[in-house]
Amino acid sequence: MTELTPVSSLADRVAAASPDWALRRAGGFSDRSIAWLFIAPTIVLLLAINIFPLIWTIRLSFTNYRGNRPNAPLKSVGLDHYQSILSDPDIWAAMQATAHFVLWTIALQTLLGFALAWLIDRKFRGHALWTTIILIPMMLSPAVVGNFWRFLYQPQIGLFNYLVSFISGVPPSSFEMIGSVKLAPWSIILVDTWMWTPYVALIILAGLRSIPDYIYEAAEVDRASSWRQFWSITLPMVLPFIMLAVLFRGIENFKMFDMVNLLTSGGPGSTTEVASITLKREAFEKWRTGYSSAFAIILFVTVFGLANIYVKALNRVRQR
Amino acid sequence: MADIRLDFVCKSFGKTEAVHELSLNVDNGEFLVLLGPTGAGKTTTLRLVAGLERPDKGRVAIAGRDVTSAPPAMRDVTFVFQQYSLYPHLSVFDNLAFPLRSPVRRTPPAEIERKVREVARLLHIEDKLQNRATQLSGGQMQRVAIGRALVRSPAIYLMDEPLSSLDAKLRGEMRIELQRIQRELGATILYVTHDQTEAMTLATRIGVMDRGRLVQVGTPREIYENPVDAYVATRLGSPGINLVPRSVFPTMPAPPAAATVGVRTEHVRIRKANDGGALGTVSWIEHLGDQDHLHVAIGERDFVTLSDADAGLGVGDPVAIEVMRPLFFDAAGRRVPG
Repeated sequence: MTELTPVSSLADRVAAASPDWALRRAGGFSDRSIAWLFIAPTIVLLLAINIFPLIWTIRLSFTNYRGNRPNAPLKSVGLDHYQSILSDPDIWAAMQATAHFVLWTIALQTLLGFALAWLIDRKFRGHALWTTIILIPMMLSPAVVGNFWRFLYQPQIGLFNYLVSFISGVPPSSFEMIGSVKLAPWSIILVDTWMWTPYVALIILAGLRSIPDYIYEAAEVDRASSWRQFWSITLPMVLPFIMLAVLFRGIENFKMFDMVNLLTSGGPGSTTEVASITLKREAFEKWRTGYSSAFAIILFVTVFGLANIYVKALNRVRQR
Repeated sequence: MADIRLDFVCKSFGKTEAVHELSLNVDNGEFLVLLGPTGAGKTTTLRLVAGLERPDKGRVAIAGRDVTSAPPAMRDVTFVFQQYSLYPHLSVFDNLAFPLRSPVRRTPPAEIERKVREVARLLHIEDKLQNRATQLSGGQMQRVAIGRALVRSPAIYLMDEPLSSLDAKLRGEMRIELQRIQRELGATILYVTHDQTEAMTLATRIGVMDRGRLVQVGTPREIYENPVDAYVATRLGSPGINLVPRSVFPTMPAPPAAATVGVRTEHVRIRKANDGGALGTVSWIEHLGDQDHLHVAIGERDFVTLSDADAGLGVGDPVAIEVMRPLFFDAAGRRVPG
């Protein structure tokens, strides 16, 4: 035995050389302290990448800090940022654009998702294959989706414009989805709906499948029409699933950034400038770090508050 | 109130034939119990009557009207499922009122209220009317499910093992309640079970099913005392009937075709036989309190009899067996009169 002893056998030797009382102490760790040991890395990571940045952002939101001038003297500005954000018409326009986007995408995706789930739920030939095909859009990366829909929306060579003109007879280059103030908000709603309806459908499908057949059979014997079966069995029993899908899509779309940034970058003008785009402009184009921190906090509180109210409602529905 | 008539009804699922040429009449006011093991086609028969399945062949008639291709709603039947088929998001009251709120039969709210309360009283769930269906115990849920069938006063009541998911005590109570309800309403009930006690106690007549066929229909007494074959004989009786080869009882007078002798456990007289003449030895004794189940080893066979707890027999005792009212079956298991 020399200095070249491998580590593992070294550990064995240490263990063997340790006096009995030391071993007993090592083995004497309570279950509780071992549990703490196991979750400690997660907690440290969570603190480092979630909690600390959050606290830091709150701190910065009360200062005039600018990310491109880190060495400038830091001055506290109190609640000034919050005050000016809440009275800034541009911010309110962004919030309105966001609300418009969120509400319409939720409405369309829920409606279409339900219809899609309803159709897939019927057992028809090859329904497993169709289910998989329908799910393809949500498997794609938003960056890819954003980029190729730009091509589809291209007025001269885009497939979308060609298709619309083929159906309606309007010349393809007579309208621009992305470039027009009127159509641009709808262009992003359309893409988001195309991409995420399958996801909503999947959640609702799980709900539909969770309703046992015998409940429908009982209703049939009880002479409930299909219409009544839908309103008194299907809808109430699927409602928690629908609400869950709405929650996921709502939170996701409230902070929607990537696809909008790639498709319209908030344009034309600021018609599709949703909150996260405004935030990015303030933070990384105008470098108003303190100001954008305050805006981020406002957004965070808004989403957090809304989601909390919503989850309470969801739990009430579930307990029924 | 009405009668049911099934004529040569067949139903297959893929390659499995669930029901084969089944013909059955259930008379008005009769409590007919279909008895058989899992997979015998009992539930399918019930679903054919309800209209939840369509027969491949044959004819179904309710109250003299051909309903073979009528949907469930047009048959005026109710169905109690094995699972508690309650509408989970509705209260007990709304569950019970559900069939009455059908647009097919508009019932005024006061009438609904009256009927629901009446049924709730009958089933002892009056105090649960405002509870959610999911807040009930298993027994209460199934009572609500039965109540939902009662509230409508249909032509036919169909019940698919309604008591099988209840515990033994509750099952006993519900059995008595079902009998009472049937008597009070004079209802025509077609009832499916694999539990022989339910069949014996509830039925006006029992239909024994085996692999999609109706093997025998008769009163519980007829089925018990005069089974048409060895299979039917084994369906009733606890402990089950002893089936032993004819050769075990060489001195017993028997028809020539008899290959198997069936002996009900209570039709055996047994005595200690230290003086030769012994047929077997007592191999073990189950004490049930009021009586003992005596297992007698005859060669390799196990022969079960009932004996009084104070018969004074012990394990290892050689015993002689005297058989009363034996049943004879031929090599194919068919009954041979004797």
